[in-house]
Amino acid sequence: MRSSLLKPRLAAAGASFRERHGAEVAARVSGRAAEYAAVRDAVGLTDFSFLHKFRMPSEQGLDFLDGLLAGNVPKIRFGRVLHTFLADNDGLLLGDCYVANNDEELVFLCEGIAPDCELPALLQTAGAAEAGVEDLTDSHALLSVDGFKAWDVMKEVFGADVLGLPYLSIEVYPFQGASVRLIRAGKTSEFGYLLLAPESIALALFDTLQAAVAKRDGCLCGVDVHDDLRLEGRFPNIQAEGLRVRDPLVLGLQWMIDLDKEKFHGRDAIRERRAGGLRRKIVGVAAEPGSEALVTGARIFHAAEPVGEVVADCHSYVLNRRLALAVFPVELAYSGLSFRLGAADGPVVKTISMPPIMPKSLSVKLDEM
Amino acid sequence: MPDEFQSTIERRARIIATFKKELILRLNLPYSAEDLHEDISLLGSGLGLDSLDALEIVLCIESCFKIKIPDQNIAILRSINTVVDHVLEQQALPGGAA
Repeated sequence: MRSSLLKPRLAAAGASFRERHGAEVAARVSGRAAEYAAVRDAVGLTDFSFLHKFRMPSEQGLDFLDGLLAGNVPKIRFGRVLHTFLADNDGLLLGDCYVANNDEELVFLCEGIAPDCELPALLQTAGAAEAGVEDLTDSHALLSVDGFKAWDVMKEVFGADVLGLPYLSIEVYPFQGASVRLIRAGKTSEFGYLLLAPESIALALFDTLQAAVAKRDGCLCGVDVHDDLRLEGRFPNIQAEGLRVRDPLVLGLQWMIDLDKEKFHGRDAIRERRAGGLRRKIVGVAAEPGSEALVTGARIFHAAEPVGEVVADCHSYVLNRRLALAVFPVELAYSGLSFRLGAADGPVVKTISMPPIMPKSLSVKLDEM
Repeated sequence: MPDEFQSTIERRARIIATFKKELILRLNLPYSAEDLHEDISLLGSGLGLDSLDALEIVLCIESCFKIKIPDQNIAILRSINTVVDHVLEQQALPGGAA
């Protein structure tokens, strides 16, 4: 099983580890409530090194990645980042992907749900060697700094220039004689930064960030809390609803697809399903405070008939209730409706508009800092 | 289906259809109405629209539904569904545009 370069630090901090598709992840470090509060009110540091990480020369990489991914890679402007997905030949999700256009290179990050060995094999079959693809997965760490005060940590470590980075952009910063590729991204709805660092500085960067995070009343986070944060912010989560549903059209991921592209993995299957019309759709659902039954796999009833299924869930500390995503027939997939959970006479749940929370980060104007 | 349940759907569906049609037209979006999930983020991630687009969205809402969007209230513009919620709230007020 693949392990992170940062495992010694996380283990020393008391992290609990588990497997995620063949890679070891730090699931929890400081406790779920503390980690959640850190991101919403301060800042959290998370090890996302389990993602697959690649770089390639832009010249060859553009066509290579464009033939694989659903989004339009050649349209990524210099310094910007595309959020898209990788599908299999049946047009079902395999990976949630970022592609960054970093001058002469493309950086490709993939959070996959296939067994760990399958993605590199898929890339090889597609011509990775000819495209000059370099696998950074084992040689680099990927750290995520997320939260209301994440920008302040970045400013301390890399300078005020960081504050000018727009969402979904990449820049390279020096750190102890090496280069850190910094991507402004994040899926928590608070400020978020991903840092791709080579092994030579990975532990030193982790220590520096951990100290800066602690100064702001933040803490180390595990990957599990990000399931809650993503759902609350209504960011797609390939590890939750993505893994359970897998059809990007049902999940509402059409915005990640260039439907006019002539070629990408799964294109024909996706186009065929789209032409046939959407029959099911994902919708946000909220339980009454104190009700704990809104969990993944639960059935949702309307007029004594099962009509929906919960495909992702979390506890929202901000709203003090359980939230979920559920798949409904399109004719019932509207916000503002009441249903019953688990049985025709089960507890009431309501479909809601997403995202249901207002993150603190939206109140911060970085250009005035 | 109970009448109230069905009328909630119909009222919401009408507003969604109007808003999506105008949004696609005004911003020249490369999607059909069915491709736009109602929870998709309008600004930043998702559709990735910028501040100029946000202004266009505000004008679009105000002209389509004859309601005002309070200055600086970006919470309303977070998704199609949050826009529709605001429209429904405004229409439900005494004297609100139906």
